[in-house]
Amino acid sequence: MGPLIPNGLIPIEWNFVIALLIGLAFGYIMEASGFSSSRKIIGVFYGYDFAVIKLFFTTAIVSAIGLYYMDYLGWVDISQLYVHPTYLWPAIVGGVFMGLGFMFGGYCPGTSLCAIGIGKIDALAFAVGIMIGVFIFSESFGLLEPFFNGSNYGHITMMDTFGISPYWIILIFTVIAVIVFYFSDFIRKRVKKVFY
Amino acid sequence: MSKRYKSKKILVKTEYKFLAILMILMAAGLFFLPEKIDNEGTNPEEFVLNTLKSDRYISTDQLAKRIIDQDPTLLLIDTRSEEEYNAFTLPNAINVPLEKLLEEDYVSYIDQDSYDVVLFSNDNYHADQAWKIGNRKGFKSVYVLKGGLNEWFNTIISPKYPAENMPETAFKLYDFRKAAGMYFGVGAPKSDTKKATPKKVITVKKKKKRVAEGGC
Repeated sequence: MGPLIPNGLIPIEWNFVIALLIGLAFGYIMEASGFSSSRKIIGVFYGYDFAVIKLFFTTAIVSAIGLYYMDYLGWVDISQLYVHPTYLWPAIVGGVFMGLGFMFGGYCPGTSLCAIGIGKIDALAFAVGIMIGVFIFSESFGLLEPFFNGSNYGHITMMDTFGISPYWIILIFTVIAVIVFYFSDFIRKRVKKVFY
Repeated sequence: MSKRYKSKKILVKTEYKFLAILMILMAAGLFFLPEKIDNEGTNPEEFVLNTLKSDRYISTDQLAKRIIDQDPTLLLIDTRSEEEYNAFTLPNAINVPLEKLLEEDYVSYIDQDSYDVVLFSNDNYHADQAWKIGNRKGFKSVYVLKGGLNEWFNTIISPKYPAENMPETAFKLYDFRKAAGMYFGVGAPKSDTKKATPKKVITVKKKKKRVAEGGC
């Protein structure tokens, strides 16, 4: 049956309408759960709030498990889902830069826009910083291009790389997630509480 | 925040413990899923009903009439092997060997709605198999030549003269078959019979299922 739009169950014209609705819901939930505060992301590095890590692990395992059950039930065809191409070294370097940006600025690009929505000045500065960064990157793209397009491994997944069943990866990942949840709470209990 | 959670004795709330165990169980449960069965196409009940219907057959007389009338909606598919096809076949037939039926180059001949597809083989055994595969896949307007080429030979090429006590319709049918046989070149000198040229069919290849694009 699914994915709904590529299989024509929903006309492709609805793409942007649905994107808008999901975007609104996403922004609302992000604001409502406190991600518009820069302390939420900084908290991971200082050890007083691990909501971000928990959020990402929960998203990953819930969607992975859910998708495979839905694939079994025939609601979603896993093979039709988009797999982002792997650019190994650019991804690592980009990840390091993004992490530094998180630490210095306290926002993810998404949460910064969310925080601008509720009128935070620091988020505005962060967003301007993003624009400057994008500008510098675009202007120096000629220099960076060999690196940027190098080490492209295509649309690979962990099951291709390790040659093991996706079920094992999901189970191992779930166990890792639960262990991480436990230890993050363990650390949080030992760190001085920050109220914000 | 409950009082119990605030006091340092309890590290993890019971709800979270429950959720963690649930997630691990769900992940482990994936291993116990039975193997996936592809149920695409016609469902079994409908398929059985379709096979029992007699209108999936077309008789040799009906087919001969349609060929003589030069019916443009007719598409003849020879499901025999290539050697047999090269030896002899019906006029304008296209060769789609049974084992290659679902290959990309061939399936578009059968999986389409603009022609009435008539499958045939030496008898109707292989053509029936092809029809069953096609019906299960949900292809429309596919028919089988009843009796296949053997029946074609017995009725159109060398029809039996009806016995004297048979009704008038039998004689009319015999006349029709005799005439049709002439149309198909019975009694004509060998040099006159043209080699059957396959009908030119512009098939519309079904769009492959697109993979969703984009990302974050």
